Amino acid sequence: MSQPILQAQDLHKRYEKTHAVQGISFDIQQGEIFSLLGPNGAGKTTTISMLSCLLSPSEGDAIIDGHSVRHDADAVKKIIGVVPQEIALYPDLTARENLIFWGKMYSLGGAHLKQRVEETLDIAGLSDRANEKVESYSGGMKRRINIAVGLLHEPKVLFMDEPTVGIDPQSRRRILDTVLELNQRGLTVLYTTHYMEEAAELSKRIGIVDHGKLIALGTQDELTKLVGENDALHIGISGISEPPGLLARLNALSGAHNAAYEDEMLLLEASHANEQLSDIIGAITSAGGQVKSIKIEEPNLEAVFLHLTGRALRD
Amino acid sequence: MKALEIAFKDTLARFRDWKALVGMLAAPLMISALIGLAFGNLSSDEAPIENIRMALVNLDDGELGQAYEDVLTSPDLQSLIALEITEDAEAAKARIESGELRAVLVIPAGFSETVIPDNEGDSGMASVELYTDPAASVSPIIVKSIVERISASINTLLLAGQVSGDAIVPYAPLLGAEMATLGEAIGAELQSERFDFEELTLSLETIATGEDEEPFDPFAFFIPGLAVFFLMFSMFEGSRSILQEERHWTLQRLMSTPTPTWQIILGKMGGTFLTGLLQFIVLVLSSALLFDVNWGNSILGLLIIVVLTVFAASGLGAMLTAFSRNENQASVVGSAVSLVFGALGGSFFPTDGLTGIINIASKLTVNRWAMDGLLALTVERGGLADIQTPAVVLAVIGLVTFGLALMTFQKRFVK
Repeated sequence: MSQPILQAQDLHKRYEKTHAVQGISFDIQQGEIFSLLGPNGAGKTTTISMLSCLLSPSEGDAIIDGHSVRHDADAVKKIIGVVPQEIALYPDLTARENLIFWGKMYSLGGAHLKQRVEETLDIAGLSDRANEKVESYSGGMKRRINIAVGLLHEPKVLFMDEPTVGIDPQSRRRILDTVLELNQRGLTVLYTTHYMEEAAELSKRIGIVDHGKLIALGTQDELTKLVGENDALHIGISGISEPPGLLARLNALSGAHNAAYEDEMLLLEASHANEQLSDIIGAITSAGGQVKSIKIEEPNLEAVFLHLTGRALRD
Repeated sequence: MKALEIAFKDTLARFRDWKALVGMLAAPLMISALIGLAFGNLSSDEAPIENIRMALVNLDDGELGQAYEDVLTSPDLQSLIALEITEDAEAAKARIESGELRAVLVIPAGFSETVIPDNEGDSGMASVELYTDPAASVSPIIVKSIVERISASINTLLLAGQVSGDAIVPYAPLLGAEMATLGEAIGAELQSERFDFEELTLSLETIATGEDEEPFDPFAFFIPGLAVFFLMFSMFEGSRSILQEERHWTLQRLMSTPTPTWQIILGKMGGTFLTGLLQFIVLVLSSALLFDVNWGNSILGLLIIVVLTVFAASGLGAMLTAFSRNENQASVVGSAVSLVFGALGGSFFPTDGLTGIINIASKLTVNRWAMDGLLALTVERGGLADIQTPAVVLAVIGLVTFGLALMTFQKRFVK
């Protein structure tokens, strides 16, 4: 295997009262889309901020294309593109003016800058609205320009921090397609998300992050094997006055485990969900609950997260 | 240099924000116009200060009534007062209400006879009556000042009967030759020295009535004052944009580019400075065009004071922002400092009369030194030599505050 383009080595970030990142390590190969999957507050943005040289690691280091984020930040900044979770654009400027400004910050100029602005506008699909102020754009359009800025200087690695937050499904689909297309052109992408489907669609390898720690890392197959052949059941219920009692009863059922209850939603793993369903419903009704909905999922990343943390992968 | 790109970007964004433009340009110009109206310098039906329409109703047959008339019609006051002489006091007063006249002076019948002592040395009390237009602000003050001066001179002559006419002659250019003659006549009449008063000294202030003097121009004071006041506001607001950029993550994105942090901070502060400079220049040009404000005879001096005022104001804004915990705190502190500095520093009233601790506090403000420099040019028609002290003080304020802001921001944003 070739040398990874990015190596995160035991990264830590401590603040006065919190230990936001606690020893995260992973490698990314050139041309790969690597996803960090985890709920909000898991430490994904702090990790990307350290890799982007915005935050200095308290411990550890990361090497990007041979340059240390600790010791050679200027060189790192030239080869990375950053797409922050926020719409980091100037609303009073047009899309083209934004791109020209940010291009200059990457030391682009003259005809090359002009060419790159047009190319990135094309990637964003906003060439025809390039002269409109960003403040007049929809959320999805702003997200696309936000991504275009990160591509201006043709980075070797693109960091995308939750780039689909708060947009409609159509815009989200377009952004995911853009990421896949950029990757096909050879761009390496580090993608953070709390949407399991996005990580599953984009990445072969995924790191699952929770409470500042990388709790699992591997391909989707490798990760789903962690939960075995278990199905994941999502059962909407009401009328449960003592969830701990119900959870204990469910975990005692043969082949069922990791039962969790949150916001009138019961989550549990079962080795053969269809066969065990009547016993599970019986346990719920005998506990005074009423079943409102049932969803059975084959092993997936959501189930992996549930399996590893006992919690659902939610906001 | 990337700092310049950041500064230009900020300036462009600021001048595209119509709300910011209202605060930077429209508000000071509109308030100046209102003040101008209050001072009676704009309205077409308001008499210009150099040609105040006034009527004299002289019902006195004696020398004193004639003295008022002679002084008011003297060549020295011709350019200042357009005098009508009439005998109908009520009609004249009615013309004030209709706006035709700004003032009416009534000398009552028997005024001289009552006031001038007879052979026995007895005299009585009598008053002249001055009616002015309450809607006008400046012209009544001027007319009252002239009438008071004539009255004071007459009083002095009457009290110091032994003063010879020669003593009055030096004041002729101020009071008119007729007054000096009057003094001589009264002096001669009272040579009998029945009165044993100490010799009194005439103490007269000069009124700018000569051709070489500029007419009073309220804009020459208020527009620089308001320009500095609103400049402080926009500089504080501009400085806060660095914290807004932090909130919107554009600052973090800037710092993820291969741009040195000091250039980013310098660019942000430079943008505020450039915005302020353009704001002030636009105010200078527009006030000169709209209100005929004379910004003095030294363009270089004006440029120096404007540049250094903006430098000091933007530096102070940057420093206060750098020391603030967040945008809200910076906003509150900035507004408070703008208001206090405006009041103490002479943006609303002259600081000439300030003494003691208030004067010291005034000298701690950017506004004070900016106003000292600007008024030296606009009101006193001074040159480079007259703005040296304010220029040096403003430059020092700017250098210290910019330096502190740069260091504090650098510490704050490099994590």
